[in-house]
Amino acid sequence: MLLLDYQNVLIESLLRDRFNGGASANIDQVVSDFDGVTFHISTPESKTKILVSLRIKCYQELVQYGAQSVLEREYGPYIVSPESGYDFSVQVDLEDLPADQEGKDDLVRRISLLKRNAMAAPFEQAFDEFHQLSEEASKYTSESAPQGIAEGGETRAIHYREEEAIYVKASHDRVTVIFSTIFREETDRIFGKVFLQEFVDARRRAIQNAPQVLFRNEPPLELQGFPGVSTSTNGEVGYITFVLFPRHLSKQRRDEVISHIQTFRDYFHYHIKASKAFIHSRMRKRTADFLQVLRRARPEAEEKERKTASGRTFKVQA
Amino acid sequence: MSQSLRPYLQCVRSSLTAALSLSNFASQASERHNVPEIEAASSPEVILNPLTVSRNENERVYIEPSINSVRISINIKQADEIEHILVHKFTRFLTQRAESFYIMRRKPVKGYDISFLVTNFHTEEMLKHKLVDFIIQFMEEVDKEISEMKLFLNARARFVAESFLTPFD
Repeated sequence: MLLLDYQNVLIESLLRDRFNGGASANIDQVVSDFDGVTFHISTPESKTKILVSLRIKCYQELVQYGAQSVLEREYGPYIVSPESGYDFSVQVDLEDLPADQEGKDDLVRRISLLKRNAMAAPFEQAFDEFHQLSEEASKYTSESAPQGIAEGGETRAIHYREEEAIYVKASHDRVTVIFSTIFREETDRIFGKVFLQEFVDARRRAIQNAPQVLFRNEPPLELQGFPGVSTSTNGEVGYITFVLFPRHLSKQRRDEVISHIQTFRDYFHYHIKASKAFIHSRMRKRTADFLQVLRRARPEAEEKERKTASGRTFKVQA
Repeated sequence: MSQSLRPYLQCVRSSLTAALSLSNFASQASERHNVPEIEAASSPEVILNPLTVSRNENERVYIEPSINSVRISINIKQADEIEHILVHKFTRFLTQRAESFYIMRRKPVKGYDISFLVTNFHTEEMLKHKLVDFIIQFMEEVDKEISEMKLFLNARARFVAESFLTPFD
């Protein structure tokens, strides 16, 4: 369990069970996912009609970047009007499933990737923009390129958590994905720095074709003057930049790359917490060792024979 | 053990053994009280000269003897901010369990990472040379533990980073 899954495991197992003839019953379950995303799985009308609703903090922004068309492409006929309190809903009728097993599995997979697909829209848009820009740029030499192409497209911001955001920006030779992340505690900040240093170095050492990773505490140049970027310099906010090169943006790989890069923030924080937990248990063990050493300093209390006033002794009966 | 660590620990060991000659001494300031004089500091005549044993500017031991108690404060090596945070976490973890360590002080003396307070009651109950052994072993192992934790953190970070980036390859 080193890498995080892209899909929501709970939704996946629940749907798989139902699709493959599990006992039909009413469902009413609220499922939480990363980044404050909430799912609601219910059977409002009848036991065979399963409604899956999604609530995500930045839905308005995602729609602005074309989430609607991505979701329509993925879920087409299953989309229903959103349940109140949620942003997006799909409904599956158990009596109207794809006939073959493959189709069923595909549907389960697609629904459990609901969050991923909703968040994918800005990435897809940026990737498309990259292809467009690179085509245009190929008509010019690097000197004569007009201003717009050299600079690249607009920056798409996804404020997917309270104080953290992802920024995606396409350019003619790359797509830049910037995560802003916040460290509340000194320990997290330092652990984070150690981890990020390794992300930066990994490319130099082992994985030549990985995206370039950069880390800094001030907003990178791409975000300078961008509205809503915090300018505080107390070192709590970090900016992690992934530079995706054309090889990552090809048609065959884009889905995988989008899924994978979305998990970065959660993966990163998960491993910081896991290290803290490991160090804690290690300290606990070491402390027990120290106590053992100190206990040796205490001489063994010798068991003296106890006598009553009349001079008789107690004997423990075997 | 490195060349400079051995004489350092040897020096701490002899200084501690010398300082730990304690006797019962009731408070002169208030009747029927018996307090560690080094902490109370109410009678200057029973407090002896403090002593610093230092290996380098970051690693040193400060021994403050008095007639019925000795306070030992240790500065643990901290080369960078990772070690600093690890030392901070570890000493906090230990001091929270000070009760079970008998001789550990809940709060270190200002300027040090961790302090011990040995009174005449401790030396009466426990074997003196074993107490010295404990402090020496503590000093040895704490350094080892901190550097191991740092190595672990780096190794894990490297592994985590590589496994995240491999699918892009």
